Amino acid sequence: MSWAGFKKSVNRAGTTLLQKTGQIERTVDREFADEEAKYRIFEKECQALQKDSKAYWDAMRAMSAAQGRIAETLETFYGAADQSSEGAMAGHAYKRSVDDLDSSFNREMDGPFRTTISEPLGKMCAYFPIVNEHVAKRNKKLLDYDSARSRMKKLIDKPSEDPTKLPKAQQEHDECKEMFDMLNNQLIEELPQLLDLRVPYFDPSFEAMIRMQAKFAEEGYEKLSGVQRYFADNVRDDYAAGQLDAQVENVLQEMRELSICGGN
Amino acid sequence: MKGIGKALSRTPFAVTTKIGMAKRSADTEFDEYARHFGNLESAADKLIKDTKAFCDAVTALFTSGDGYATHYSVIMTPIAGEYDLIGKHPDSGHTIRSQDHYAQAMKELKELIGPELELIESRIMGPAKEIQVVMKTIRKTITKREHKLTDYDRYNNSLTKLRDKKDKSLSDEKNLFKASPAILCLELEQDFEVATNEYDYINTALKQDLPRFMMLATQFIDPLFSSFFYMQLNVYYLLLEKMNSFADENKWDVANTSGAQIAGEYEEKRTDAWQRIEDLGVVKRIVSVSRLVQASRAQNGGAPGSLGRSNTTASSSSSLKPAAPPSRSTSSASGYKKAPPPPPSLGGSRGLSPRAEPAPPPPYTASSSVGSTTLAAAAAKRAPPPPPPLKPKPGLKPKPQIQYVVALYDFAAQADGDLSFNTGDRIELIQKSESAEDWWTGRLNGVQGVFPGKFLYKNSFQS
Repeated sequence: MSWAGFKKSVNRAGTTLLQKTGQIERTVDREFADEEAKYRIFEKECQALQKDSKAYWDAMRAMSAAQGRIAETLETFYGAADQSSEGAMAGHAYKRSVDDLDSSFNREMDGPFRTTISEPLGKMCAYFPIVNEHVAKRNKKLLDYDSARSRMKKLIDKPSEDPTKLPKAQQEHDECKEMFDMLNNQLIEELPQLLDLRVPYFDPSFEAMIRMQAKFAEEGYEKLSGVQRYFADNVRDDYAAGQLDAQVENVLQEMRELSICGGN
Repeated sequence: MKGIGKALSRTPFAVTTKIGMAKRSADTEFDEYARHFGNLESAADKLIKDTKAFCDAVTALFTSGDGYATHYSVIMTPIAGEYDLIGKHPDSGHTIRSQDHYAQAMKELKELIGPELELIESRIMGPAKEIQVVMKTIRKTITKREHKLTDYDRYNNSLTKLRDKKDKSLSDEKNLFKASPAILCLELEQDFEVATNEYDYINTALKQDLPRFMMLATQFIDPLFSSFFYMQLNVYYLLLEKMNSFADENKWDVANTSGAQIAGEYEEKRTDAWQRIEDLGVVKRIVSVSRLVQASRAQNGGAPGSLGRSNTTASSSSSLKPAAPPSRSTSSASGYKKAPPPPPSLGGSRGLSPRAEPAPPPPYTASSSVGSTTLAAAAAKRAPPPPPPLKPKPGLKPKPQIQYVVALYDFAAQADGDLSFNTGDRIELIQKSESAEDWWTGRLNGVQGVFPGKFLYKNSFQS
């Protein structure tokens, strides 16, 4: 921090203290406070939205990648004994379709998701630190203004011996006021504009999002259901009836009875 | 304790086999099975890990989908005190109206997916963990076989050595095996027999049961795979079904199209909101407040924001008021081409204090202008400037007099036709009006343009 900056921050800390103790009057700007409150909500929501959109994308990727790995593992299981069984064929078909799903999804959706969801959000969220800088600056200038005003008022109440003091204080007050007013007016004027523009800004993302969600589901469903024809006819019903679970249990029991498993 | 003793007695042999001094017997058939079994073991581990990853991903998908919908709908609904977003943005009406349903649909999905995931947890992960337990016992058996094999090899080796020696020289025998070598040999043979039996038993059992286990593993994975497949299919189905019903109810077209098309149509629908946000002052980094103040003075007087500068008029009486916060006064000053920017904070103190002296320029202007120029500028402001020599009296001045003015402040062009200059520049005055509030025409470095008269020190130089 530069020396000038340091002096400023020390002075402002003093002003804050005096304001807390009621020595210096604090300017309350309801209009700004209202706009800022709204802006804060918007900022928070945007950041949460950005986080969730990223999580959503990552989850889609992770889901599709996990499927691929599971399919690979299944092949290992089948590879251990019988590679031409019906199950092995189905496992093979399954592997093909999830791989297909994974690669086509990544290839086709990566760009569009970024264009329609991640980038608009990222851009908006990148504005916030700058806007916050404006707000912080405005708050600092407000402190300067408050302190300059109180100094000037004191001089008006109790004129000093030195006749140049008051004009100087006034000059300072005017400058502070000008700076503060400029920053404050800009924020009061532009924050609502920013908030208002969010609607047309984010609007097209919605349609893109639901279309991509539907696409993800539809392609996943279609590609996977193609594997069904490799299954024996009764599998679907068996699954629905809970038969498959019983089969799994039976096999496990048989395994436990093997002599090498401690059974006899 | 027995285990430790065994381990100790086996260690020397393990060392000698490693360095190639002792032979190890190999059973290729068993080794093949063991290798497959090892694969299965790691496959089971992976299956559990990936199924878990899959469940986590699905959970994350639906949780973040719900979160996304919630936050998006908050953004698309009026925030504290706002009203009628649809009225203000009729184009976005469709999106805004769909929000409640969308958030609702995503919330329902998140709840729907719960039981499905529990199913995967109990019906897939559960059995996979069970088979892991089974595999662990088999692994133990395999380790045991290894130990038995070690014993077998150990005794076998010792016995071979002893027999070799016996054959070599009977005389040595006397010295080496004083304690009756025959008995030693017998003992070893006994041990060897036991080890052989034990090893054979366990090796045969494994060779018999491992292939069976492999078969069972396939039988195990068949129904497990089918179950998982249907559960997974159901996840997609739930999502698809919800999306379709949401789209139907709210009249969105979610027919499957290519990703590029989605992105393309998005681009088409993108409005100028991007640019308009970009143009806002609050999204631009602050370099220096004083520069901003100057810019805003210039802008507010000249061309505030998007309003056309032609219909912007600054109050011609502004010189009486504190000029500091440049206001967008609407009082008209007809006849002026455009409103000039108010001068930087010159009259600032005047309105507030009757006994104010001419204020020095703000500290952020170039220091060189402090001094006579300041006073002159202030003076120029107070007293109307001398009428410009628009009509030089013919005869008296044969040549048109060239008048120069000196810039008091920097001025950056706000629009085409404006003349930019820096503090201290001498500008050839071509046309000026009576009032310093107006825009004047001048020439600098061969460029002709208009500029706010107030920015100049008018004690003209003449040539």
